[in-house]
Amino acid sequence: MASTPTISQDKNTVAFIAPLTHTSPSLGESVRQQAKASLAEMSLPTRKVEEWKYTPLRTVKKRVYQNYASHNAIDITPFLIEGIDVDFLVFVNGQYQAELSSIRLNGDTVYISDLGSLSAAGKVAFEANFGSVANVDSDIFAALNSAHAEQGVMIHIPRGQVAKAPIHILHITDANGDALGMQHRNLVVIGEQAEAKIIETTHTLGSGHTFRNAMTEIIIGDNAGGEYIKIQRESDQAFQVDRTEVKQGRDSRFSIFTFTFSGELMRNNLRMRLMGENIESHLMGLYLLDGNQHVDNATMVDHALPHGMSNELYKGIMDEQSTGVFSGRIHVYEDAQKTNAYQTNRNIVLTETANVSTKPQLEIYADDVKCSHGATTGRLDESSMFYLMARGIKEVDARKMLVHAFAMEVADNISIEPVKEHIAQLIESRY
Amino acid sequence: MLSIKNLHASIEGNKILNGLNLEIKPGEVHAIMGPNGAGKSTLASVLSGKDDYEVEEGEVLFNGKDLLELEVDERAGEGLFLAFQYPVEIPGVSMTNFMRSSLNAIREYRDEEPLSAGAFLKMMKERSKIVELDASLTKRAVNEGFSGGEKKRNEIFQMAMLEPKLAILDETDSGLDIDALRIVSEAVNKLRTPDRSFLVITHYQRLLDHIVPDFVHVLYKGKIVKSGPKELALELEEKGYDWIKESIPA
Repeated sequence: MASTPTISQDKNTVAFIAPLTHTSPSLGESVRQQAKASLAEMSLPTRKVEEWKYTPLRTVKKRVYQNYASHNAIDITPFLIEGIDVDFLVFVNGQYQAELSSIRLNGDTVYISDLGSLSAAGKVAFEANFGSVANVDSDIFAALNSAHAEQGVMIHIPRGQVAKAPIHILHITDANGDALGMQHRNLVVIGEQAEAKIIETTHTLGSGHTFRNAMTEIIIGDNAGGEYIKIQRESDQAFQVDRTEVKQGRDSRFSIFTFTFSGELMRNNLRMRLMGENIESHLMGLYLLDGNQHVDNATMVDHALPHGMSNELYKGIMDEQSTGVFSGRIHVYEDAQKTNAYQTNRNIVLTETANVSTKPQLEIYADDVKCSHGATTGRLDESSMFYLMARGIKEVDARKMLVHAFAMEVADNISIEPVKEHIAQLIESRY
Repeated sequence: MLSIKNLHASIEGNKILNGLNLEIKPGEVHAIMGPNGAGKSTLASVLSGKDDYEVEEGEVLFNGKDLLELEVDERAGEGLFLAFQYPVEIPGVSMTNFMRSSLNAIREYRDEEPLSAGAFLKMMKERSKIVELDASLTKRAVNEGFSGGEKKRNEIFQMAMLEPKLAILDETDSGLDIDALRIVSEAVNKLRTPDRSFLVITHYQRLLDHIVPDFVHVLYKGKIVKSGPKELALELEEKGYDWIKESIPA
């Protein structure tokens, strides 16, 4: 079925998506077709679209990001987190690197594979779950990814199994020439009463422009547990759209962290669907930007059934001219009585020119719930600075201490100690 | 030790200190009393370097150095300590980390080697006993969730750790019940040495029953209007501040 571009797709969009539509993924045919049909009718968002009001794409959308595999020799050692043994899958310029990857710790009970090497059983699991959490027509990036992303990771933790070691998905982008475009797709299925911890890091080498369009679907079974930690360390030329959608079953527990240390324009869409009773969800974010960097965290939490708890904490430290957006929608459906939903967005701006726009949005249709949201953006607390300095601590060190303390409130919720330590070091090295 | 001459200071154009003179010698305890708004806390703030205040005139020498030219942290390095009237809560910074940073910053200022972790922890343990501060408090974030009394005891604990040359106690007694007051006063008395001086700022005479000063000064409208021995505090208690107000020509 050839998709016919309609008049609604503008010229910019046609040029922008064209280099990323040459793939023909062999799996997930019906989702792919549906996504292609949606894509054909979509254009890149303008500022008139509410969800992109504070994240204008006018600069990035003029670029043509092509995919190419050529890159310099890569040493992955600096990108692995010290102090933990993990199973890791390495992608360079969007392409899976079997020879750089190592999947050996989790054994046969846990299924981990890149999408290009799925076993027969892996394919069955993929077909059964691909596109079952995220809507392909959420936006043009979701459609583009769902239609054409070929590379990616499938993780399946069968019922009752616990992943022995964390799984690390490691992206290295080496863009030295033309603007480089990549798509990536993860599908994570944690079965009933199963557990897994996943780390996904993105790094950019080289100085070329890059675009990563990534999408992750996560299915958490009944009474299952999971933790997903994203660490984004992209270059000042990196445009990234990440969409992560999570569906949780009853009695399950899940924490997701999004750390953004750098990037030109970083958009993180996160949606949590709490589809059973007694679900616990933690959405944690930390962004530390400078220069002209921009981050936009757009989060949504849907409470469908009673006794759910969602706890959302996003914090930012913005230096120089960096800008940020946080939008948090919480939707409590009529049946979701006894829901506890908390949302906090706190920002420190270190200069007059840095800023963050915060937009909480609570839609509550149940009457017996506890929901709260709070947002603050301000300078470092002067009375705290004075207190520290009055005890002999130099201004620069006092600032460091306060910034570190502010940021670590997010990282302290990580259950993997070496990862927490890794984040602490990344914060430490910044200020 | 400390020599204040003709100090004038204002905040947002309002004149608070109006030609204040004060001389403190090593080992002396001076108490400054006065009604609300007399400028007591302003004096503490100006001496410790809070930058909301503008010094318009006058001179402050601390061990021969021009105190007003020093940064806030340098004043601490020189041996000045302020026990805050309202100690600040700093979430996420543990007492241990705070004290270690503080102590080592001051040691660095004095060209001394940093304290080893073991020596530091031993010192923390010993000194927290002086103010009967529960050891678990030192594991918590600075002042976070501390009661009013615990915060004040924590100030004195920090003083015990940093061993200053001059300690300014800014209304350390305000809001304390008698038990806490006794603990704080006893700790201060234990820390009195022939070299260490104290400037005790208080609104209430009661504190001076426990920390017996060498001199009492009455601050009114931004200057010291009366000075005397410790008995002056009792006289003030008896006659009230109106006695002072009436005896001063407008």
